[in-house]
Amino acid sequence: MSGTRPGEPAGSVGPGDAARAAGVTGISVSNPDLPGPGATSPGGTRIGRPAGRLRHAEHVMGTVFSFDVPASAAPVLPEVLSWLHWVDATFSTYSGGSDVSRFGRGELTLAECAPELAEVIAQCAVIKEQSDGYFTPWPGGRFDPSGLVKGWSIERASNMLSAAAKTGAGGAGPSGAGPGDTGASSTGASGTGHSVNGAGDIQCTGEPERGRPWRIGVAHPLHPSRLAVIVAGRDFAVATSGTAERGAHIVNPHTGLRATELASVTVVGPRISTADAYATAAFAMGGAAREWAESIDGYEAFAVAPDGTTWQTSGFAAYTAPA
Amino acid sequence: MRRVVLALGGTVAGLVMLLSFRSHMASTASAGVTAGSGGAGTSPGSGSAAGSGSAAGSGSAAGSGSAAGSGSAAGSGNSAASGAAAASAPVGAGSGTGTAVTGDAIATPYGPTQVQVTLNAGKIVKVTVLQHTDDGTNSQMIDGHALPLLDNETLTAQSAKIDAVSGASYTSAGYIKSLQSALDKASA
Repeated sequence: MSGTRPGEPAGSVGPGDAARAAGVTGISVSNPDLPGPGATSPGGTRIGRPAGRLRHAEHVMGTVFSFDVPASAAPVLPEVLSWLHWVDATFSTYSGGSDVSRFGRGELTLAECAPELAEVIAQCAVIKEQSDGYFTPWPGGRFDPSGLVKGWSIERASNMLSAAAKTGAGGAGPSGAGPGDTGASSTGASGTGHSVNGAGDIQCTGEPERGRPWRIGVAHPLHPSRLAVIVAGRDFAVATSGTAERGAHIVNPHTGLRATELASVTVVGPRISTADAYATAAFAMGGAAREWAESIDGYEAFAVAPDGTTWQTSGFAAYTAPA
Repeated sequence: MRRVVLALGGTVAGLVMLLSFRSHMASTASAGVTAGSGGAGTSPGSGSAAGSGSAAGSGSAAGSGSAAGSGSAAGSGNSAASGAAAASAPVGAGSGTGTAVTGDAIATPYGPTQVQVTLNAGKIVKVTVLQHTDDGTNSQMIDGHALPLLDNETLTAQSAKIDAVSGASYTSAGYIKSLQSALDKASA
């Protein structure tokens, strides 16, 4: 399944087709007059949106990736979505024909797989070492790097958007002014940052609105419609592991038992691939995660216990925002 | 001015998500229709959703029904529909006190639940429960506790302006009732 990597010649799949094949569910832009291909996808629609910003939700990897990007990113978005579907096909543990499945069964050597697999495995090894084995690409004895793949793909998608913005692919100048920004006052003007939210794990860059940081609500694991805390920042990542949506699905690899000491753990830091894996490890650790998270440079943690009590690492307060 | 006003409300076991837009958003929203393909964004409230907003039942498996304004919520004299639901006539036309939007009656393990939300200038000003669960003492006890909570939390959480939601991983199906989904649909 490694023959149709986006960015390489991929048969007849053009950007529009890619978006369609990718199951585009609706790109939304605020300004109906906004120019640019991809501003509205096939079957996509527009709803109210501040000038210069665009949102998109993509069903992929059995979940949904939500994009909040400057409208200038519209031309590159189909490529990003197409790449995510390639990751899905290559890394799926549900598809017996994926590189990951075939590698797991010993049918392919690592060299025969997509090179990205080696990259993911290397990163898994680093996190496993850092977490005393609480994070492992072998949960339950079967090769399954999914715990890292999602965060890694969120980060890569974010990097693709950043790279496109830097080269001016979308027409946003160094000033950061989007196409909808002309004449707007600085207050409330559209920002040039973006966020990619893959099933609740988020990489943010820049600002969503000029002069304002991203504000990310952390869902309360015991009260699903409420927020446990709000974190704010620029160029940062937020990952949460817990039981709220899928039941207790994280296993302590040292005991083989489901981790139940915490209701959820949120990790914030620079990179989502790392933050996501740390959150998984911390959740598996349970109560011991607090001390461990304190020892990790550059990342902070916040946890909710099943009885509703919470704890956070000493540097977490720097990210908290008043509700 | 782009932040979505996200209102969170607690119910019996799940909650009710209500989204409201600022009034100026409502006027721009008229051009759009929520896509929500794949069923993700489609609203169980279609057809019966009344008023300028749409009512989307986001009832979680655990809990009572919920009304989520996936469309634009418009205040009096400033209505626009952008939700997946086909809006029908407002229940309470825009008077000085706002526009009432009624969600579908949602079947829950505890009995049918229906919520009406009153909006004024895009803000939720009142939440009325039209149908309480009624299938037993236990449910009534739950109602007695949860319904006032729903009122209070829906109203107070409007200040929780956020861009995205981090939480335990959801599946494609679970996304539908997630707060992130509500944010994506609101797109404000």
